[in-house]
Amino acid sequence: MPLQQGSARARQRTVLLVGIAVLLAALVLAVVLASLLTHGRHEVSPQMLKWKDRGTTKNLQEVIVGRCYNYITAQHPELGDKDCLKIWESLKDAFIYKNPCNITPEDYQPLMELASHPIPCNKSLFWSKTNDLVHRYTKSNQNFLTLEDTLLGYMADRVSWCGDPSAPGINYESCPKRNECESNPGSVFWKMASKMFAEAACGVVQVMLNGSVEAGAFRSSSIFGSIEIFNLDPDKVTEVHIWLMQNIGGPQRPVQLLQCVHNPDHTDCRLCTNSSAIP
Amino acid sequence: MMSLFSPLLFVSVLCMNSFSAVQGKKWKGEGTTQNLESIVIGRCYEYIRLVNPAVGEKNCSQIWEAFKNAFINKDPCNILPEDYELFINLTFHTIPPNKSLFWENNQLLVTSLAARGRRYMSVGDTLFGFLADFLIWCGQADSPGLDYESCPTMAECENNAVDSFWRIASVTYAKHSSGVVQVLLNGSAEGGAYPQPGFFADYEIPNFQKDKISQVVIWVVDDIEGPDRDSCGTNSVKTLETRLKTLGFDVTCTDNYKSVMFLLCLDYPDHSKCAFASSAPAAQRGPISSDRGGSWNKLMFVSFAGFLFRFALVY
Repeated sequence: MPLQQGSARARQRTVLLVGIAVLLAALVLAVVLASLLTHGRHEVSPQMLKWKDRGTTKNLQEVIVGRCYNYITAQHPELGDKDCLKIWESLKDAFIYKNPCNITPEDYQPLMELASHPIPCNKSLFWSKTNDLVHRYTKSNQNFLTLEDTLLGYMADRVSWCGDPSAPGINYESCPKRNECESNPGSVFWKMASKMFAEAACGVVQVMLNGSVEAGAFRSSSIFGSIEIFNLDPDKVTEVHIWLMQNIGGPQRPVQLLQCVHNPDHTDCRLCTNSSAIP
Repeated sequence: MMSLFSPLLFVSVLCMNSFSAVQGKKWKGEGTTQNLESIVIGRCYEYIRLVNPAVGEKNCSQIWEAFKNAFINKDPCNILPEDYELFINLTFHTIPPNKSLFWENNQLLVTSLAARGRRYMSVGDTLFGFLADFLIWCGQADSPGLDYESCPTMAECENNAVDSFWRIASVTYAKHSSGVVQVLLNGSAEGGAYPQPGFFADYEIPNFQKDKISQVVIWVVDDIEGPDRDSCGTNSVKTLETRLKTLGFDVTCTDNYKSVMFLLCLDYPDHSKCAFASSAPAAQRGPISSDRGGSWNKLMFVSFAGFLFRFALVY
């Protein structure tokens, strides 16, 4: 009898142990499943702020670092001492984990210092409302440099970025538009870079304006009108040449040529000589 | 003592010679571009995110690995176009019809004309071409490292990493071109506008697909200040036209095509070849007398005020 009682108790204990084990297993499984299901949701933090403009460019780091090395190695080997990884880090530190409506020029100061470089005299080309035309011109003609042809401008052109206080600190979904808040990472960057570009200009500077825009070729609210013009150094700048571009029919030759590439048969694009063989 | 000294001197001089040969560069060409990996990966993301997002998602790290594995740890004079096959497969995308632009001896002009794929898509505007354009690379046998010191030139060995790359890139580009294809040739080039041997002659034309290409448009453009060595219907261009027609293609040829002339004229706006027929009346219209009078006054005032402001700050 004691043996039978002992084995019954043992069986009870076994059943109990098995039951507890099963419960534990179920609990672990539930936790694992729950974390897997919420993993997707963690990537887009529900607390991230929502804005109206496009978010941070995907793979921003690779693009910026690649552009930095591309600029230095392929185009400007004299800048060989620039540290592209450090430059990226200083850009990232300017906005990561910060509220994108609270960016200050001081945030970008380290980046500006690391990435700035001297501009040759007589080559600075400012522009307003002529984005496409002016850059097609400088890509084809190396005599002039816009901000977007300097290292800082080259790296940042056409990409966007902004941070957010919650992880991962960078907002890839949306970024503030200028009318949502002025002190956003993009606007502050371009204001500072424009200011520095104007300050560095020397000799003869050129400005390309659009004479075919309703609001007028020159607007004091544009970056050129509100920042660059005031930061030209009268001790360094000797002359300002203004190129007023109209749609084909305007007086400025070299850039008019670019417009003619698209419309070679326009009456204003007729070349004096049509013969093919020129001695 | 003297009898020992001379052979010793002789041997040491020999050793120094071979030592300096090792210290000196192995090959005659420039070495691998610095930071090649960052540049290639950066360009890959640049292309798929900004230049041509229509190609869709690509794995840029995988692409870099495939590129690198084509030539590292191998004899740099024994790299074959097939070694890049995986790379080509990973970077391949369709080329829009009527946008192909072939060329010889005018790479910078082609870059301006193509406008990063907006006007035309040259081989340098495809993903596989974009990643490698203007770069140099080579490896070394028995070492996984890139050779940054020097790389072999075509003259030293044909099957070097860079030339083999462009061979397979050109073949791929030509095979997938369709519609009207354009060819820009340099009428001032020594050796003829249509060079043979050349990439266009040896790797591109043989891979034109008869059933996909509707027409071949040839443009022969002279350098603005260059001689007119070749034109449509003469010399090497005639050879090219004949070859294409024999192959069964519909061929047209234009000398000094105007759109391209305008681009060349950017650097020579006052050259006689670049004078506009209607330039006289246009020049009389001064820039200030445009209809935007109000904003001009503002500009003048603001510039003046700006300078005054800066003066005030400085002093």
